[in-house]
Amino acid sequence: MLSRLALRVATSRPVVLALRSSSTTAPKPAAAAAVAKEDGERDLVNFPRRVRPELPDKVRLGIFPEEWFQAFYKKTGVTGPYMFGTGLLTFLFSKEIYVMEHEFYTAITLFLFGTMLYKKVGPSLSEYLDKRIDEYEAGWAEYRGNQTDGLVAAIEEEKKQQWHAEGQQVLFDAKKENVALQLEATFRERQMTVFNEVKRRLDYQVDTQNVAQGFQQKHLVNWVVDQVQKSITPQQEKDAIKQCLAELKGLAKA
Amino acid sequence: MGFGEYPAEYNAKVHGPYDPARWYGKVDTPLAQTKLGELGAWLGRRQKSPQAVTAAVSRGYWRWLHKYVHPKRSGLTPFLQVIAASSAFFYVLNYTKIKAHRIHKYHW
Repeated sequence: MLSRLALRVATSRPVVLALRSSSTTAPKPAAAAAVAKEDGERDLVNFPRRVRPELPDKVRLGIFPEEWFQAFYKKTGVTGPYMFGTGLLTFLFSKEIYVMEHEFYTAITLFLFGTMLYKKVGPSLSEYLDKRIDEYEAGWAEYRGNQTDGLVAAIEEEKKQQWHAEGQQVLFDAKKENVALQLEATFRERQMTVFNEVKRRLDYQVDTQNVAQGFQQKHLVNWVVDQVQKSITPQQEKDAIKQCLAELKGLAKA
Repeated sequence: MGFGEYPAEYNAKVHGPYDPARWYGKVDTPLAQTKLGELGAWLGRRQKSPQAVTAAVSRGYWRWLHKYVHPKRSGLTPFLQVIAASSAFFYVLNYTKIKAHRIHKYHW
């Protein structure tokens, strides 16, 4: 009974839910197109998903955005922005708007040593960090891959279980049919038994009657023969034999 | 729009995942493409409430984050920029004191 209940539950359960549709990483173009098709309201042309860039935007001299230099380039050429910076600094220095107090010289020293450190340690450190970030990302990608693989495997397993459940139904039918066949066979066997028993009894009756009748007939015939034999006297026998002899003689003459 | 809520113009069904660096309202001419004559009108169209100003600063901060901090192989740049900007900021703050260190009397 319980197994049947389980079967019913298994067959009526809907197919396993789809994987999580919202993801934090940018989907591949094909997936994006699928999303756009899926919900019509979504505006992927004007509001595309933000993709995490590999490298930061370009800067010059460590801090100044490349765009500022490009804005200068149209009017002044390549050296323009540098000339502007130099001119501005010269102006600030000469009018003592930027005052060269003790902190300024500290800053020069700091800048020099910072640059030296950057040149010495920078490349190896950046290589190490690049390696680490690659490892980190690969770790997460692996985790995510394992998760999806696990879920896909779970879906497969679930489908297999449902298939098994359907198989159980077939098995139940076969068992039911088997039981019905057994019942039918037993019924027929018993019917046969009844038939045989009745036939045996009737045969007995017939046999008894036949035997009794035969015995009576035999007895009657014996009795009649006995009576007839008893009634024949020796005189009659002699007469009969004489008669026979006479007939034989007559036959011999003829 | 209450505290900690998305902007009123943001609609997740149309815009997708929320990007704090984006302006989801009506798009106006960028300042760089505005003619000088239209500058007054352009400024008149700006929202100047404290909330709008805060939101604008927040969007700028997020744009900077996306540009220099969040990329996979981000470098020293954002740190240097913060150092330079804060140096300039505190220089201006302390300017009245720093002015005392001038060594020349006449400049113009």
